[in-house]
Amino acid sequence: MNNLTVPPLIAFLFFPGGLFLMFGGMAYEWIDRKLVARFQNRIGPRWFQPLADVVKLLSKEEIIPQGVDRILFYLLPVLALSAALASALYVPIAGFAPAYSFKGDLVVTLYMLSVLTLCLGLAGANTPNRFALIGATRTLTQLFSYEAPFLLALLGPAIVAGTWTIGEINFYTQLHPWQMILTQPLGFVVALVGLMGKLELPPFDAPEAETEIVAGALTEYSGRGLALFRIGKNVELLIGLTLVSAFYLGGVGNPLLFVVKTVGLLFVMAVLQSLFARLRIDQTVGLWWRIGALLALLNLLVVALFRALA
Amino acid sequence: METSLPTPWQQALDKLRDWARINSPWAIHYNSGSCNGCDIEILATLTPRYDIERFGIKLQGSPRHADVLICTGPVTRQSRDRLLRIYEQMPDPKFVVAVGSCGISGGAFRGCYNIVGDISAVIPVNVYIPGCPPRPEAIIYGVVQLLETLKKPVA
Ligand code: SF4
Repeated sequence: MNNLTVPPLIAFLFFPGGLFLMFGGMAYEWIDRKLVARFQNRIGPRWFQPLADVVKLLSKEEIIPQGVDRILFYLLPVLALSAALASALYVPIAGFAPAYSFKGDLVVTLYMLSVLTLCLGLAGANTPNRFALIGATRTLTQLFSYEAPFLLALLGPAIVAGTWTIGEINFYTQLHPWQMILTQPLGFVVALVGLMGKLELPPFDAPEAETEIVAGALTEYSGRGLALFRIGKNVELLIGLTLVSAFYLGGVGNPLLFVVKTVGLLFVMAVLQSLFARLRIDQTVGLWWRIGALLALLNLLVVALFRALA
Repeated sequence: METSLPTPWQQALDKLRDWARINSPWAIHYNSGSCNGCDIEILATLTPRYDIERFGIKLQGSPRHADVLICTGPVTRQSRDRLLRIYEQMPDPKFVVAVGSCGISGGAFRGCYNIVGDISAVIPVNVYIPGCPPRPEAIIYGVVQLLETLKKPVA
């Protein structure tokens, strides 16, 4: 049940680095949109929709608004995407062993995943647009609310497995496929919902609520910058799903298992998305700190107790 | 300006770009003084019943993200500057669809003291959709017509 390995150069350029992640992310975005459309009794987008969106955005004019820091304006989308791509190197994408791993890469990966949100917030704060400013504030507020519970939820399996290396945790969960989901259902729920908060999917889409604040932090971005942020989000969706299924659903041992588990998770997320209406930003924060963080802490406490007793 | 023929590589890229543009028109909706009838029909077009996400059409809040400006009604003196500003805020390439007879000629409001004129008096319009108000099917048909014109190479 060991994971397969890939040579470094291929890992960096094609798989699981750059190309595969981008196209995989788009495929997952399509699955998500299609599922939500089906739940709303619509036909939904065609399979190449995300690709067409990205290519179109890349070929569009990029307007740089007055009063922004030009370097930051150019740099932030690139930084966001590259952080998302870099974090994939430590994650068992598609059931292959992580391209690199070291002790404690779990923490590094999680922080690299947050860089995207941070860039989003900075991008909004960088533009003088008032909608973008409100969007940036909300993005960063939300970052502070879901990040801690999400991290705590992912620490549960790490403590049980006795290692903070993602590859080893994945290996451990493959040996004990049912252990995590049965012993830590609380952690699983918090991790899944935390992922939705991370990706700003409904009901946690207050930062980009188009009915209130136009498009949130990305209001002033057009063309290339918007496309890069979108790809970054898709990549993060893929990585997040991989992480949660590797930690809680018995690991991702081979590509087939990977697809089954991540798409299953995505299905649950799509159901939640179409089920709930958008939360206000204060409700989001309240939910995470009053319920999410407590549940994750409880989960962690139980795990630690068992470990101390065993 | 270079006058050489495009290389095969460039042609392929152009094809890809046109394909993407046709398949992913993001729209923004602006009411420059209509009676709201047309706007309600546009909103009806966006509902699950007509599901224009099938064509990749998505309503965007920000003009910076949009390709198609769907505009209704005659242009009043007050909204002229806003219409112009929204048009200027959209990144190239951009297209304008005028919905309703008011957008075509001023319609019921033609000759009013507070009207600048129809939409083409202020910004260039690519497609007109007649009707008072046009049905959602007509609006979809109009947008598809716009996408058809993109397929042909501009001489
Ligand atoms: S065309 Fe008819 S429905 Fe549309 S704005 Fe004019 S009067 Fe109203």
